Amino acid sequence: MTVQEFYEEVGGDYNEIMSRLRTEDRIRKFAGMFTRDESYKSLVQCINDGNADDAFRAAHTMKGMCQNMAFTRLYKSSHEITEILRGKDLEGAKQMLGVVTEDYNVVIAGIEKLLA
Amino acid sequence: METTKATETIEKNTILIADDAEINREMIKFIFDEQYHIIEAEDGEQAINIITEYSDKLCLLFLDLLMPKKSGLDVLSFMNEEDYINYIPVIMITGEATDETDEKAYELGASDIIYKPFAPNVVMRRAKNIMELFEHRIYVERKLEKRTRQLRESREKLERSNEFLVNALSSVVEFRSLESGEHIQRVKYFTKLFLKYIMKFYPKYGITKEKASLIVNASALHDIGKIAIPDSILLKPGKLTSEEFEEMKKHTIYGCELLEKFKQDENEFYHYCYDICRYHHERHDGKGYPDGLKGDDIPIWAQIVSVVDVYDALVSKRVYKDPFAVEEAARMIIDGECGLFSPEMLDCFGLAKQELFAVTEGEFSFADVMVK
Repeated sequence: MTVQEFYEEVGGDYNEIMSRLRTEDRIRKFAGMFTRDESYKSLVQCINDGNADDAFRAAHTMKGMCQNMAFTRLYKSSHEITEILRGKDLEGAKQMLGVVTEDYNVVIAGIEKLLA
Repeated sequence: METTKATETIEKNTILIADDAEINREMIKFIFDEQYHIIEAEDGEQAINIITEYSDKLCLLFLDLLMPKKSGLDVLSFMNEEDYINYIPVIMITGEATDETDEKAYELGASDIIYKPFAPNVVMRRAKNIMELFEHRIYVERKLEKRTRQLRESREKLERSNEFLVNALSSVVEFRSLESGEHIQRVKYFTKLFLKYIMKFYPKYGITKEKASLIVNASALHDIGKIAIPDSILLKPGKLTSEEFEEMKKHTIYGCELLEKFKQDENEFYHYCYDICRYHHERHDGKGYPDGLKGDDIPIWAQIVSVVDVYDALVSKRVYKDPFAVEEAARMIIDGECGLFSPEMLDCFGLAKQELFAVTEGEFSFADVMVK
């Protein structure tokens, strides 16, 4: 799978990421790092624990990474959940978490294929 | 190896990246890691520890706003408390622009705020500009500090040389008259004491610390004109005839003639010397000499030297008289039995009296001063 195909599959912006990171090798390296990051896990955990503050921070970190990686679709849903959690609305966050999880899984599956 | 280590300590080429997500740190790291040494912090607390340990090596800090343990703003506050903020430039990295936190970050001394996602070449350019600016500012500050210190040192040296020359010159007369031991040192000391009270209680005379120090120095020269008085009069054991006294009075004029040969009209110190030489025998009621000036027509510095000169003469032994006790000397001055001074001078004399006594009977007491 090429990097461009990967970005198309996960709803990202290939041109933007290339303009910033310059090489596909570097993009692959960063994609690998993305799979190791624990923000998503932490987000799920904190929402289940009812810890809105830490959930907010995890969502915020995730959103920042998606901005950096130009994962546009996942960026949009993680941005939305971040704003919900900023208002400490745990119920709203639970409802939104489904969409985030769906987008996240697509990205992770894509990266696995990209790096295979 | 040793040399490399030494250079590393001096050279500030370490960048600290503080962000809780590895991927975000890496996004900045790859821009700089060819040219700079990079240290990473995963939270605010780590960032603070690293700043403390490596403060002299850090040339830039990239700081995430939202981090566990301590936030980016906490780190900035810490840097303000410890003054690091003036030596290490900070660039905030944030996901979204919120006027409130941006404002707060700038208030706390952040140099710049960069929003995600960022273009590497832009980040590089902005970071380099900021580092250059800081480096330059610190360089200029250090240079200015050094220059100020040098200036102060050479001024102090000059002042010491000046004081030495004035003392040496003044003591020429003393040396010749053999009359009053260290009269000049005492007059200087008393003048200084007196000025302390004048500055505190009579601000109307406009005496500043700088002026006071010049006046103290100038007071040493009050009798310089005595150099022109013949031995037969200056060294006469016993009372002078009225003719001799008229000649003796001219030491005020002679002193000024001497100084005028080296006139420096624009120099404040010259005028203090001149005024003190000429007017230190004037009286408040206009019955003094040589010009018969009245009241505050007599420059305040001459009035001061006049009082302390009279006091010192009273408590000193002269060929023609025994010393008076300090209390008696003070009474004579206050009652107008010896000289006539303005109410302000007498008020200050009253205030300074105890200190004058202590000095007269203490560190400046000499064989020619009677100790009660």
